[in-house]
Amino acid sequence: MSDSGQVSADREFQEGMEEETASPHEVPSLPMGQWLRKNLFSNWANGILTLLGALAALVALRGVLNFVFSENRQWDAVRTNLRALMTLSYPESQYIRVWVALGFIVGLAGLSAGIWANWGGVSVKRISTWLMGTGAFLAVCVIAREPSVIIGTDGKVVRTVEGSPQRESFMDAMVDRSSWWIAAVLLLAVGAGLWSRFSGPVRRRVEVPVTSVVCVGLGLAVLSLWIAPYGHYAFISATKSYVAESGRTVAFSTKLPWTVMWILLCGFFLVGRSFQRSRYLGLIKGSSNLLWLISPLTLFWVVLRDPALDYGHVISTDLPMGLAFGLLGGALLWGLTRTGIGEAGRITATLLLGFAVFNWVAAFFGWYPMLQKARISFLLLALAALLAPNFIGELAKRRQLVLGWIGVTALVHYLATMINTPSTVELQSTEFLGGLGLTLFVALIVVLLSFPLGVLLALGRTSKFPIFRMLSTSYIEVIRGVPLISVLIFFSVMVPLFLPDGMELAELAAVLTGYTLFSAAYLAENVRGGLQSITKGQYEAADAIGLTSAQRTGFIVLPQALTVSIPQLVGQVISTFKETSLLAIIGLFDFLRVANSVIPAQSEFMGVKREGILLVAMIYFFFNFTISKYSQRLERRVGLGER
Amino acid sequence: MWRLLATLFAIALAASACGGSDSSDDSSASSSSSDAEETEVTLAASGESLLDTIKSRGTVNCGVSGSAVAFSELQADGSMAGFDADYCRVVAAAILGDANKVNFVSLTAAERFTAVQTGDVDLLMRNTTWTQSRDSEVGMDFGPTTYYDGQQLMGRESDGFSGSSQVSDVGGSVICTSAGTTTEKNIADAASEAGVSIELQTFEDFDTVVNNFISGACDIITTDGSGLVGRKAKQQPDGENWVIFPATPISKEPLGPTYGQNDSAFSDAVNWAVYATIIADEKGVNSSNVDSMLTGGDTETIRLLGGEGELQSGMGLPADAFYQVIKQVGNYDEIYSRSLNPVGLSREGSANAAWTAGGLVYAPPAR
Repeated sequence: MSDSGQVSADREFQEGMEEETASPHEVPSLPMGQWLRKNLFSNWANGILTLLGALAALVALRGVLNFVFSENRQWDAVRTNLRALMTLSYPESQYIRVWVALGFIVGLAGLSAGIWANWGGVSVKRISTWLMGTGAFLAVCVIAREPSVIIGTDGKVVRTVEGSPQRESFMDAMVDRSSWWIAAVLLLAVGAGLWSRFSGPVRRRVEVPVTSVVCVGLGLAVLSLWIAPYGHYAFISATKSYVAESGRTVAFSTKLPWTVMWILLCGFFLVGRSFQRSRYLGLIKGSSNLLWLISPLTLFWVVLRDPALDYGHVISTDLPMGLAFGLLGGALLWGLTRTGIGEAGRITATLLLGFAVFNWVAAFFGWYPMLQKARISFLLLALAALLAPNFIGELAKRRQLVLGWIGVTALVHYLATMINTPSTVELQSTEFLGGLGLTLFVALIVVLLSFPLGVLLALGRTSKFPIFRMLSTSYIEVIRGVPLISVLIFFSVMVPLFLPDGMELAELAAVLTGYTLFSAAYLAENVRGGLQSITKGQYEAADAIGLTSAQRTGFIVLPQALTVSIPQLVGQVISTFKETSLLAIIGLFDFLRVANSVIPAQSEFMGVKREGILLVAMIYFFFNFTISKYSQRLERRVGLGER
Repeated sequence: MWRLLATLFAIALAASACGGSDSSDDSSASSSSSDAEETEVTLAASGESLLDTIKSRGTVNCGVSGSAVAFSELQADGSMAGFDADYCRVVAAAILGDANKVNFVSLTAAERFTAVQTGDVDLLMRNTTWTQSRDSEVGMDFGPTTYYDGQQLMGRESDGFSGSSQVSDVGGSVICTSAGTTTEKNIADAASEAGVSIELQTFEDFDTVVNNFISGACDIITTDGSGLVGRKAKQQPDGENWVIFPATPISKEPLGPTYGQNDSAFSDAVNWAVYATIIADEKGVNSSNVDSMLTGGDTETIRLLGGEGELQSGMGLPADAFYQVIKQVGNYDEIYSRSLNPVGLSREGSANAAWTAGGLVYAPPAR
């Protein structure tokens, strides 16, 4: 069973971790003056560069601050349109579904963080420097921003004779920004306090877990929703009017769900951590992985779409069919894994594959009707039958295959039924998903689906069999030779024309398919890079201990190859996430399009574009920076770049 | 084992993601839906109307711009609002009796006619100008004009422009507009006709054009008058005065419903739904007094609203079709003022005033 391999690998891994934490690379820290002299002012040229760099950074910072806080900015446009930016046309009355879906993902993330990783700690000294740095940065920001313009009693900007707006004096501006000063000073004071207590030779080793820092940080952010007057901004659908009340906290329907999200994240983290010593850790890890695979599709098609199930049809058709495939297919697989089945097994599997492929051809030409689900199931059954020789022998292995088959059948039939059932959610427009929701959904699904496909393609391209090699190579080269936009346009415009009569591909499904195929080709090349770094000795050693080629690939080659390609894989994930903005070109409303063309077209906020785009850029940055940071941590943990 | 399961599962997902969006779940549904599609095609060829398709479908697929201020704009909750959007609702109220049974499809200028030809949308309410070539070559039919627009120019008063300026006054100016539209050609033609040389600059979209105007990179911007009025109302900085000229636009842009050609039953339904809003405005029938007018109006009003002598049933519409239009969406004036007054476009004195008030908005009689 592969679990044993998994566990031992994990154990090794944890031991590696402990070793690393036990002997950290000790870098003696210098006093402030010496550090400055060594790093920033080591000679006069460096000194000038440092000063020039600092000046440039200051000028840029001042520009950004003046832009963001300018009296010309209409942030109301973004604030009242937050819903459009997040989900576009999803009805407000059904928002509980969005929160349930998000809550599930957040809880699962917490659980996985708890059971999977040894997150390590961060020294209090480091935290204190962060706090002081933030405080100092805040203070610089407060000073750097130009004084605000004076707003007259009529609510208009007071202007000088030449027509340029009048600004308050520097001192008045500083007084106006006293709350920011207080925050900056508080941060500095707390940081300095911690620093003085924890910078001693012994105490500088004192660490707190990274996860608690994250939990507390997020908790403070959520707490601020209840206290800080961010203002209440909304669009009331019933009256088609905008609400903009500054000076109060955000709406109850915003702060309560986020509080629940925080509780879920941290609560499930604790639950996950309590599982770390559990006997069933392997099982729990497996289940959480499976949940990650299933949940995006389930959450989208079942929770968000709320399908209107026709129970008569379910009982008369869907359920019997699922059962038939599960049980009869299971029986077939049981038979195929009998000891001594020999060539008969392979022949059966090949025949089955031929039949399954023929079904699709027949469907294309419309020779005979068949349930779509049946076609998919036959194809899967054929693939499982092809895999069956790996499970011949022990009872436990055979049982695994059969149970696995039944599980997969149940899932596929469940999802297919749900996907085919019309939604009950009433929408104002054709866009079921829009805004950030669409961006995240597409990115998540594309990454999830293209990963296995990419690995298969990479294996195919490095395979000994010329036919696999040729097919994979030509696929990869063709897809890589074509820009993403043309792939997307092809799938949204051209593919529907090639489909047989009566078959429709929803815009979103077309895009997901095209994007997945595209992304898989790039992923395959990244993985191939990793595969090539595996030395011949590894293959020979695997052969020497008698592993089959599947076992060699699964247990020896791929784990090492994937580890090596982490940086490129993460790069691919980030670019997939960012390139979802191309969806706008084929008519989907991703959140960049909402900011770029929906908000500026509202009569209330005509032409207000930069604010939205700035926010979108910040959100993109937040996600990508988080992914990037996590990958750096992952690389450090697996010791990449240190060999 | 988990790895195997995961792989199997991933394949399954890929398969169901492709297959799942197949709208037909089982063989019977599959064959029936392909039947339906075939029937639709053959019926359309033999003259069966889109009107029946819409009735059996239960929604009107209406192509709009989705980013045209005050005409069709996506609100913060994803709903469509504006003058064009309301006329989509008028059509839905007339055919289906429910103004909310509209499926709005946002289309770019480039894809709008294809969308009609492929049947993705039933009609366009997408500020599409009625032109000879579109009516003939492109294969579109045009309904009654709902909004009379025309290209104008906007400059600053401080640069010496006024409402009575002419194209001949703009010599030497930098004129900006959005790229790839007929406005570009119109202004070039008008300038050469007036014998002045201009420097024409184009930008990707009109927001960028306006920003360049505000920053001073452009002396004059030009597009349809409706767009300029809106920009002036919302984006003119205080201390500046923007003026729109010439009083007679340099182009004619009649905007109205657009649909595939040669479908008389459907086009009659759309046209008369639009006429009904105009006649109602003429007769003083609006969404709040329509119930009393149903019995208390003159004979034409009563006919129009589905009373004695009504003609809607003969068109394949419910007898109370136009009553529903007025009740749920309103008459022409209500629709106009709801969306266009807030951006500073007033009917009075413009081509969009009623014919009795010197404008061009006119409907044939309902009898």
